[in-house]
Amino acid sequence: MLHRHTATALTLILTAGLAAGLTLGAATGVRAETFKWAGTTDPQTMDPHAVNSAPVLGFLNNVYEGLVRRGKDMTVEPALATSWEPIGDGEGWRFHLREGVTFHDGSSFDAEDVLFSYQRASDEASDTRSWFAPVSEVRIVDPYTVDIMTSAPNPIFPGSIANWMIMDKGWAEANATPLPDKENGNYATLNANGTGAFQLVAREPGLRTVLEPHDDWWGEVEHNITRAEMTPIQNPATALAALLSGDVDFINPVPIQDVARLAGNGDVNVIQGIEARVIMLGFPHEAPALKYSAETTDANPFADARVRQAVAHAINVPAILQTIMRGNAEEVAQLVSPAMRGYSNAQAERPAYDPDKARALLAEAGYPDGFSFGLKCPNNRYLNDEAVCQAVTGMLAQVGITANLDAMPVQNYWPELRADNYDMYLLGWSPGTFDAEHPIRFLAATPNEEKKLGSWNFGGYSNPRVDELLPQIQSEIDDAKRQAMIDEVTAILQDDVAYVPLYVQPLVWGTRSNIELTQRPDNFFILRWVTVN
Amino acid sequence: MLAFIIRRVAQSALVLLIVGLVAFSMFRFVGDPIDNMLGQERTQADIERLRVQLGLDQPFPVQYYKFLEGAVQGNFGVSYRQGRPVAEILLERAPATLELAAVSGLLAIVLGIALGVFTAIRRNGVMANVIMSASLIGVSLPTFLIGILLIYLFSVELGWLPSFGRGETVRVGDWWTTGFLTPSGRAALILPSITLGLYQMTLIMRLVRSEMLEVLRQDYIRFARARGLRDRVVNFRHALKNTMVPVITVIGLQLGAIIAFAIITETVFQWPGVGLLFINAVQFVDIPVMAAYLMLISVMFVGINLIVDLLYFLIDPRLRVDRAGGH
Repeated sequence: MLHRHTATALTLILTAGLAAGLTLGAATGVRAETFKWAGTTDPQTMDPHAVNSAPVLGFLNNVYEGLVRRGKDMTVEPALATSWEPIGDGEGWRFHLREGVTFHDGSSFDAEDVLFSYQRASDEASDTRSWFAPVSEVRIVDPYTVDIMTSAPNPIFPGSIANWMIMDKGWAEANATPLPDKENGNYATLNANGTGAFQLVAREPGLRTVLEPHDDWWGEVEHNITRAEMTPIQNPATALAALLSGDVDFINPVPIQDVARLAGNGDVNVIQGIEARVIMLGFPHEAPALKYSAETTDANPFADARVRQAVAHAINVPAILQTIMRGNAEEVAQLVSPAMRGYSNAQAERPAYDPDKARALLAEAGYPDGFSFGLKCPNNRYLNDEAVCQAVTGMLAQVGITANLDAMPVQNYWPELRADNYDMYLLGWSPGTFDAEHPIRFLAATPNEEKKLGSWNFGGYSNPRVDELLPQIQSEIDDAKRQAMIDEVTAILQDDVAYVPLYVQPLVWGTRSNIELTQRPDNFFILRWVTVN
Repeated sequence: MLAFIIRRVAQSALVLLIVGLVAFSMFRFVGDPIDNMLGQERTQADIERLRVQLGLDQPFPVQYYKFLEGAVQGNFGVSYRQGRPVAEILLERAPATLELAAVSGLLAIVLGIALGVFTAIRRNGVMANVIMSASLIGVSLPTFLIGILLIYLFSVELGWLPSFGRGETVRVGDWWTTGFLTPSGRAALILPSITLGLYQMTLIMRLVRSEMLEVLRQDYIRFARARGLRDRVVNFRHALKNTMVPVITVIGLQLGAIIAFAIITETVFQWPGVGLLFINAVQFVDIPVMAAYLMLISVMFVGINLIVDLLYFLIDPRLRVDRAGGH
């Protein structure tokens, strides 16, 4: 008798569940042009000057615009400026602004907004301040002409400000957000008013962010989206399930290990490409001794270029790419990927995998029996980072050097590197300017706090010729001369084995099969290139 | 009685203080929030400036004291990640977790008791044995695996239920949002609440069953049957009533566990509750959010324990007599 009640209760609950489920199934079965996508990281703010990070800038590129922007192949193209030219002998750049552009709230765009956005984005409160280090002054010539003066000739300046987004002066002042406030937030943290193809209609941090097309956008509309919703999904398996079930139309990234399985599924497409990020090994160039060695406690073998050379020859990069990256990445010999400006074609060859040569080099350097050391590695920063470090550890063991691998979350990783607690480390670098000068400035220049050089050169690598060439590269207008200098620096870095570049990290996006979009190497998702079929 | 309450409240406050202290001393092992807050092009000076600004250069007892000072005034600080007051964020996320916990709890209690009674009464039946074996799954499989399995079955393969999120929500009152009022909100609740409630359900079911079997062997049940009472009266009026005392205690304690363990379920289903908020805060080293969440959870556990203790005191006369006699 009792079981009858139980059974009734069960049936009721199940029926209710099924009914609710079926209703929803019917609701999602009909797909409007609402486009839903999921990323791992929620953009932490809607303020384009508060945080200089890829999730924020990538998302806001759909809402705000700069004077220039990057096209599908990363070339610099006109946006809010229609054209630009150098002033005089490299004293600065003149930008001619686009007329008839309106912000999402209807106010019009002119030179005052550019000047205001410069002041806002270059303030000490802004995370984007470093972009304007070369700038000495911004002058309004007329309402649609702006001169940006630089303290030294700066040929790559227009490309370096592609993510500098223009905010409406009147809007910012009316809403008491003249400066970004990263610590306490302000109006611009949750609201946006740009000139971009999409406007922000709802913002619920960590839940969803909704965009709708900006009807008065100046550009030619390529997309057919009427509404777009971004949801952060941290768990990769959940994101994948959401894509497979059609709850979202696009996810970034697709876990590498699932790529092969998805390839056989007709409902989804996997879009693969090469990111701008180069993964490399770094060394303690200045340390007097190893910190984590069992026996070599009074010397630093990595100070010897031959030992670093041996490391380069000992690592079988193709094998790493084949097994850990499942063939989705490309090996690289320098600090930038081939897609970047200033990539050195002359120095494209990676040191060959040659364990015998590695052993010979070690013997020559005085370590015929090898040595042990500590390898630091993040385990949640780059794609399969810990697995790569394990592979490196195994390959180095083959030539007789024993790495004690210590993998940790990235939150703990950077403080360790800053405290010099490593004998070798893994680093990924994505040049914000898409130019080979960027890693030279941050990774190869001798650290100098005052000049803001070498701020990520943890190992303190230093070469006077590199330091001498860097300012010249920064100010050389002639492309051929500039490339020659970059080639020289690249060659020096390779000869010194300042770093051991391994591979360019892959980009793996997943979409429903009715979606067409363009994948840009900076991993920015540009909504106006999406078509829902 | 009053002395007892005062003593228990004082103990609870002490527990809270210790939890906070332990939490704060742990935060430095979680990592450094600075790198997440500054971009690639930060300088050492930027790092130092922000560290001082956030008060992270101070020793943790000082940081803890400042946190307490703010907390007693209802100010939990500002989230490093979102740049908004933590109290506001927690309030925004609480309804999602509470609704999920309520549905899972209800599911666990109703089904747990019903199935427990069923399997006890028909302990040799085929169905009861099938249920008992199946309940092993609920006890032994980890929550995240159950969640993923359910998603793959009902969302990916069958396409009946949404794979993540809370669906459309409706605002009720000043700060409460509910998913109960929309079809998509109700559909979104099904899989996460099953995932979250399954363990508790099997636990209650097994507890009810064993208690019930125990009671059914008692003499008064036999006499009741001998008197010719109908099965339903015997089973429910006599047997079930007497099994409920320990069951209610366990349910009370499990209530806190459901909210605390919601972290895993919320992560698997991208359920926008406080558990997911906490996980994100850990990844970002968002210390104010972590601190407030941990304090909130400990307040909840301490509060539940306090209430349970007081209930014992009220329910069990022997406790009162003992205390009175002792002093």
